[in-house]
Amino acid sequence: MPSVSNSIKASEVAVSVRGLGLTYTTSIERRPTIKARAKSLGRGTKHTRVIQALDNVNLDVEYGQVLGVIGSNGAGKSSMMRVIAGIIPPTRGRIEVFGSVSTLLALGVGFNPSMSGRDNVLLGGLAAGMTRDQIEDRFEEIADFSELGDAIDAPMRTYSSGMYSRLAFSVAATVRPDILIVDEALSTGDAKFKEKSLNRIKELRSDDRALIIVSHAMATLREICNDIAWLDKGVLVQRGEPNATIDAYQDFLQVKRSAASDEDV
Amino acid sequence: MSASIQTPSQVYVPFRAGLPPLIGYWKILWSRKTFIVEYSRSELRDKHFDSFFGQLWLILNPLLLSAVYFLLVVIIRGSSDSARYVHLTATLFLFYLISNSLTGGVKAVTGGQRLILNTAFPRIMLPISAVVIALFRFLPTIFVFLLIRTILGVPFSWQMFWAIPVLLIAIILSLGLAITISCINVYFRDIASFLPYLTRTILYLSPVLYESTSLSPKMLKFEILNPLFPILDSWSRVLVLGQAPETSSMLIALAWAVVIFLLGSYIFLSREREFAVRL
Repeated sequence: MPSVSNSIKASEVAVSVRGLGLTYTTSIERRPTIKARAKSLGRGTKHTRVIQALDNVNLDVEYGQVLGVIGSNGAGKSSMMRVIAGIIPPTRGRIEVFGSVSTLLALGVGFNPSMSGRDNVLLGGLAAGMTRDQIEDRFEEIADFSELGDAIDAPMRTYSSGMYSRLAFSVAATVRPDILIVDEALSTGDAKFKEKSLNRIKELRSDDRALIIVSHAMATLREICNDIAWLDKGVLVQRGEPNATIDAYQDFLQVKRSAASDEDV
Repeated sequence: MSASIQTPSQVYVPFRAGLPPLIGYWKILWSRKTFIVEYSRSELRDKHFDSFFGQLWLILNPLLLSAVYFLLVVIIRGSSDSARYVHLTATLFLFYLISNSLTGGVKAVTGGQRLILNTAFPRIMLPISAVVIALFRFLPTIFVFLLIRTILGVPFSWQMFWAIPVLLIAIILSLGLAITISCINVYFRDIASFLPYLTRTILYLSPVLYESTSLSPKMLKFEILNPLFPILDSWSRVLVLGQAPETSSMLIALAWAVVIFLLGSYIFLSREREFAVRL
């Protein structure tokens, strides 16, 4: 597999997260309005709340590692990925990234539902800092991999959620950055595409690339990762060998390793 | 071996309130200019402005608008002439550049939610794209206006080239307004519903349906508070009368545009890192 990275050797640090804390203020209302603000002023209630998303997380990801990130909903997994990708600035701590990150997290594709898949891929790539040539060079590969066929030129609002995530994953997997972050994209799509994306992830594993995979699909993570980080309520609970960490996580959830819980959800 | 001396390609540390490093920001913004062009183009294509009837509509729409407003002027005043119609079309078309920037800008950030949540890029690209779209829609109307002007037999003059600096000031103002309102809309989503009333009020306060000369001196004194007034007044003077604009109007217009642009950009840039958690 050709690589875009320049002379980065294995066991070198790809991402270094030191003392990461993330606190942010967000509005209680889903849609903050002047009306809601006036109401909360009149009642003397608060209109914003402070969310502690991450607390003192230390994490090193080395080249050659495939790190799975697990945790319940709201544990701070996606927040941490956004901080590593530079989308949200940290409140405390320091994040150092050595190499190119896929700043295009999987779902960045398709921000404008009335445009075609093709336009959305182009725009998402341009926004992430790629040149038009770079995107057009890879477009065939993206379209092929996604197996969308003619639908690639249809508006994205006509896509099913499966088609949507297929395109998203295809973009993320084709760009081939030094550090690839895949957020929840593995657990969607039909069985055939799931198999295919799993194989692609395996292909992408190499000594000069770091993969960070956020997923609830424990069986998949056991298979492809060589390291697991378990987050709970913004705190890094455990980090280490996949089977042991996932077992501990599942014990914590008090879920027996039944077939159902081990299946991709 | 080299791990210790390796320098990170990106370092993310907590930001204090205030501006990001402006030179670095500008460099990233400039490197993403293709996005702005491509985004505007696909938005226009989405509204079918690449088809024949789409482009016809771009011309027909302002023409119909000016006809409706001209009807209003004729009814209210009881009489009218071709010079007034030329003034009306000139100022109305430029007014719509500014007002389209506002209506496009208000949803620019909130509409780009998916992109903002998943991609690191200078957020200011979104309201800038809204102004570029408004500009693309404005350009055909210049030719419509020049055609109307020729048909009605209004003489041309070299002074009309003053339109270029006036247009530049209008673009700076449009950028400032779009950037400001796109940021405000993140925190107060109902601004979008107030916007039609705001633009309508500004339209009536501006010398579009009337000439600035027909205002009483008392009213004229207050018009220094309307950022659009000196721009539209100079625009009419230059394109309808074919005279050089008054220096004082140009300076007031420039001052308003620059102040709104700088203030809006300051608010936007110091807030934009927070957008991802506010959407």
